[in-house]
Amino acid sequence: MSLYNIGRVCVKLAGRDAGNKCVIVEVIDDNYVMIDGATRRKSVNVKHLEPLVQIIEIKEKASHEDVKSAFDKLGIAVWDKKSKKPAERPRQVRKVKGKKSGAKAKVEVKAEKIKPNKEMKVEPKVEEKSIEEAVSSEVDKVEVKKE
Amino acid sequence: MPRGMFKSGRLRKIFVKTPGGNTTVQYKQRKPSKAVCAGCKKQLAGVPRKLAGKMKSMPKSARRPERPYGGTLCSACTRQLLTQKAREEK
Repeated sequence: MSLYNIGRVCVKLAGRDAGNKCVIVEVIDDNYVMIDGATRRKSVNVKHLEPLVQIIEIKEKASHEDVKSAFDKLGIAVWDKKSKKPAERPRQVRKVKGKKSGAKAKVEVKAEKIKPNKEMKVEPKVEEKSIEEAVSSEVDKVEVKKE
Repeated sequence: MPRGMFKSGRLRKIFVKTPGGNTTVQYKQRKPSKAVCAGCKKQLAGVPRKLAGKMKSMPKSARRPERPYGGTLCSACTRQLLTQKAREEK
């Protein structure tokens, strides 16, 4: 009976995952097994594994999430695979010389904004003028009285 | 006579033939020694024999194997060490 059965916890000895713990998920061959855990999910040669005493109760071909939950109970940290999508870079938008439609629209908006302001300003000016006229007329009257 | 700094042997001599027919001496920096395993003193594979400045400009994955103890221990010695650690854990 071989040591490399489903659920056996091993340490990976070769490659970039060396030194990390994994569980055998599937026995492919006399020499090859499928592993998962703190390593990548890979089919590896048995020579690249060192078996430990621990055995986890796991189904055959268990998913990565099941393995992860089992490893959390053992207290072994499992890192998920990073998404392959690269982060979006801020791209510079080219300024096109022939873009007049946008500029026109902006000008129209400004004009609309200004129009009501003018109307608002016009009304108080009229009042001021009336006051001034009234004052001037009164002054004239006073001067006339003095004479 | 060459300058004192060229006589010490720190720099490597290169004899170059000029178009006029004379041979002149150019001096270049020597290559660094080959990287060696700290355990068994074997030459390490996957570690290029470049000057320190060029090594710095290279990506990290090109400078040494992507493995724990990569660039210091050979693959056989790392395997031995990791098995030893795994067996001590029990």
